[in-house]
Amino acid sequence: MHFAWDPEQQSFRSTVRAFLAAHLPSDWESLAHGPASEAQSAFSKRFCGQLAQAGLLVPHWPTRWGGRGAGAWTAFILAEEMWEAGEPRGGQYMNVNWIGPTLMRYGSEEQQARYIPPMARGETIWCQGFSEPEAGSDLASLRTRAEKHGSSYRISGQKIWTSYAQHAATCFLLARTAPGRDGISVFLVPMDTPGIIVREIPSLIGEGDIHEVFWDDVEVPGNALLGAEGQAWEIARAALSLERVGIPRFALATRMLHRAVSMLERAGRFGYGAIEQAARARAACEAARFYSYSIVDQREHGIPTGPEASAARFATVMAERAVHEFVVEHVPEALSGGEAMLLAHHQRAIVAGIASGAAEIQLNLIATDLLKLPREPR
Amino acid sequence: MDFRLTADQSALVEAVDKLAAQFQAKPTDFRGFALPGHDLDKELDDGQYYDIAQVPELGSLCAAMAVERLARLPYATEYALSMLVRPQLPGEWPRPLAAVDNGRPGRFVAAARTLLVIEGDRIGLVRPDAGDLEPVESLFAYPMGRWKGGAKLTPLSRDEAANVRKWLRVALACETSGLSHAAIASAVDHLTQRKQFGRPLGAFQALRHRMAECAVLAGGVRWLALKAADTADPGDAALAALHAQESATRMVYDLHQMLGAMGMTLEHPLHLWTYRMKALLSELGGRGRQALAVAEECFGTAPATLNAVPSAAPERAPQ
Repeated sequence: MHFAWDPEQQSFRSTVRAFLAAHLPSDWESLAHGPASEAQSAFSKRFCGQLAQAGLLVPHWPTRWGGRGAGAWTAFILAEEMWEAGEPRGGQYMNVNWIGPTLMRYGSEEQQARYIPPMARGETIWCQGFSEPEAGSDLASLRTRAEKHGSSYRISGQKIWTSYAQHAATCFLLARTAPGRDGISVFLVPMDTPGIIVREIPSLIGEGDIHEVFWDDVEVPGNALLGAEGQAWEIARAALSLERVGIPRFALATRMLHRAVSMLERAGRFGYGAIEQAARARAACEAARFYSYSIVDQREHGIPTGPEASAARFATVMAERAVHEFVVEHVPEALSGGEAMLLAHHQRAIVAGIASGAAEIQLNLIATDLLKLPREPR
Repeated sequence: MDFRLTADQSALVEAVDKLAAQFQAKPTDFRGFALPGHDLDKELDDGQYYDIAQVPELGSLCAAMAVERLARLPYATEYALSMLVRPQLPGEWPRPLAAVDNGRPGRFVAAARTLLVIEGDRIGLVRPDAGDLEPVESLFAYPMGRWKGGAKLTPLSRDEAANVRKWLRVALACETSGLSHAAIASAVDHLTQRKQFGRPLGAFQALRHRMAECAVLAGGVRWLALKAADTADPGDAALAALHAQESATRMVYDLHQMLGAMGMTLEHPLHLWTYRMKALLSELGGRGRQALAVAEECFGTAPATLNAVPSAAPERAPQ
């Protein structure tokens, strides 16, 4: 065990930083407000293309799919630098982190050939059709139906809280083909298929971020099914395990904490209460960072990640909370037109415990799988 | 960055665990506040474990791992300062070590052969006369003692004092990590066995979530403690100590709630870990002082700003 970065890791981080310095426009921080806004989505598409050309979009993917087979540390250093910069990849981070790798594992050759190359070139946005009005944390109770008609499926139902739906070309959709948890299937559905209606839900978390998506007798061919019928639970678990320690939220939180402290120091307002709170938040960010690194290290060495990944996610949620509460209390002007990036961070931070699944579900997993406490009765 | 244990680290952890195995349980008839580990001390001394940090293949990170494992035992023995701070002292100073923080009673002071006398930012070393030391009765589950003063103080330079303070922070974080893991395990046992309303307490979500949060805090303390031991960076040490004291505050309360009245008894071992954590909460100036160190080391806050902080003034040396 050692905590110093290897020269190769340091060199890769420097390469990514140099790329960001060269390619982010001077008004990037005001653009970063609203990760799914029209302006940022258009920018992200150009930016991801440039990243791909520089070999920095999917370096951890196999060479067959446009990567160079780099390890988990490379993927996470890249994610850290991107998130710390305000995530200029926009919604395409999902392709890189889990949609691409999931298709590599479960997709047919035809699906892989159709969907993976555009992801590796940075040309396409996906959305994730999981939550429904009656199925949030209890995902297994979802109702959207996919009924077989000859060689195709007809999909009807409603999805909600869907990020990037307005700009997505394809949806990674969960729908029911039979009763029960083992009756849920994954479909890869082009968003321009007739019968799909997308409505934006105005929210606290930024322009164009979340949507409801209505599926009105949407007909898709049989080859839209990913894996086998009823395999969604296994596929979703594999995907979410990549997503649980996917976004290094502590990176932007730490940067914004330092920025808020600098503002207070310049204004002569970094007094004792603020110092103590800022230091606690800084420690929480560092704890989240090394918790997350421990999971990345397991991935790097092919060790299956266990419930510690849930603990890392919860530590990250606590760090986000500590920083955004510090900013709200000591730099409140950030939420009133004062500082675009602090505002953008706040908007992302408040969903840290909700996006990718409620943090309380992680607490359940930690209690059962890490502490081995008795299960709750169902 | 590589978190896999090297062969040397694995061997060390295995050896410490093997040694510790015979001290896992408190004697069934023990009903005291502190459980001194004289036999444990002898085993560690005979096995030269107190010198781990000076062995080139092992170093401070291995010493930190050993402290973290040993702190899980119910026995209170002075190993943390011996393993992590003593190697940093200028010259040869005998163990056991103890810190006398601004004149207050301290852990292991009554039996110490070297005292670290802390006054604000200044630290001095003393080989106390036995007659100047006296035990103090205490709730804290350490043998507590008081130094009445007297022997000649060898002052450390400013840089030496800063270095010693840094390693005191690392030791505090490592010990808190081990204590919290043992306390959590003790609470898990109780929540698994104790039934109310027809089911184990551990099956109630209100308690499960609080326990899970404690586990997350304890894990974070462990990572920051080990990192600080490896990097020897003063900012890392300040972060580790702050997170340890911050997390311990929360964990001690929650873990006692889990055990109800049982945790209030001296029969149950929980207090052997939680009241050691409580003792550590106030050390080195407590959370407030660690926060100032984080500001200085991690935010680069100017000393002028920190010296203007009213509550910091008594802890800081005159400029």
